Amino acid sequence: MNNTNRVVNRVLVAVIGVIFLAVGAALVGIASIGAVRDPYVENARDVHGAVTGWLKSTTVAQTSIQWGWILVLAVIAVLVILLIVFVARQGHGHHGTLIREETSPTGTTVIDSSVAESAVQQDIDGNTDFLASRVSTYRVRGVSVLKVSVTCRRGVSPRSAVTVVQHSLTGLDALLGREIPALIQVSGGFRARVAPRTRTR
Amino acid sequence: MSEPSTYRRTQSTYRRILRRETHSPRSVLAITVAVVLILALLYLGTEIVLAMIGTRALLAAPLDMLDALAHLDDAPDGLVVGVGVGLLLIGALLIIGAATPGRRGRHQMSTERGLAVVDDEVIASALARHAAHAGDVDPDNTTVSVSRRVAGVHLVPTSGTRIRRDAVISTVAEQLEAFDLTPSLEPRIVVAERGRVGA
Repeated sequence: MNNTNRVVNRVLVAVIGVIFLAVGAALVGIASIGAVRDPYVENARDVHGAVTGWLKSTTVAQTSIQWGWILVLAVIAVLVILLIVFVARQGHGHHGTLIREETSPTGTTVIDSSVAESAVQQDIDGNTDFLASRVSTYRVRGVSVLKVSVTCRRGVSPRSAVTVVQHSLTGLDALLGREIPALIQVSGGFRARVAPRTRTR
Repeated sequence: MSEPSTYRRTQSTYRRILRRETHSPRSVLAITVAVVLILALLYLGTEIVLAMIGTRALLAAPLDMLDALAHLDDAPDGLVVGVGVGLLLIGALLIIGAATPGRRGRHQMSTERGLAVVDDEVIASALARHAAHAGDVDPDNTTVSVSRRVAGVHLVPTSGTRIRRDAVISTVAEQLEAFDLTPSLEPRIVVAERGRVGA
């Protein structure tokens, strides 16, 4: 429901996975397969010499500072910042506006998400089948969507839970004069497991 | 308001939400990978800074690291192979994590209004309650496991009593029909051969 970019998640994991596989295969090859070891031994020293040579050549005159290392540090800093942004980007997508409409040439009508949220919340709050309930609004591709998530007591029929929530959504439709897309999420979870079971009716 | 275009837009929104609710975002895996990378990069940066100001390295100076990378054939083979195999394993697990769908234990329930997604756990506990009641079994001796396509009901009778198996079968089928889930669940009812004393 949130707007985490899942493709990016998977791409990052896959790219790092491929790098690990490649490095792992190279290490195993170098240590145990002659066909891999020989070209490595042949070239590694030269590459090493070239890299260290380049680092030495970046020494700033009359100091011992090599700007090559500073360059490496800069690259590291950029990568770290990108990764932190990536982590911080997870989740999100809550939205405060339910409906915004140009009702007349001179004004706009805005209905706040909290109107729908508290209306539905209050309606389902007293229900003893639910251990917890939560109503929130998300923005999914430019559309405001209500999310009603309820935690059922153990043994409660999900059908009756959905019916209860649906009923209050229908009431909201009548109130607003339109249907807001809605997700009903029925979950169990830890609280349901420790709470007493419902009596059979 | 309810022009066809709005309807279609809502349907495509629902499809997107349904997919996102029934599949893992792989956030935990991605965040773990990112945090480990951040730590590794910060460590590398620290070593470089320490080397630049001429202080003793924490573990190894950057130049020594480069040197070691160029002389892997001098290192003990067992160590190199061990590290390599470890990396191969982690890499394989990451790729599996990235490529598999990562389904969550949830089913879609038909609704007149909106979209409903139900945890398998809730389905299982509702089925267990009804099955126990219908079969006259102690609820503690009723276990239900719900997977993507199968709802397995396992009943252990109290020794000396018989379970009304037909009643259990019809009740479970009735419940599943009322739930009207996608993908649909096939009931599989198993009554244990041996009862349990005093249950």
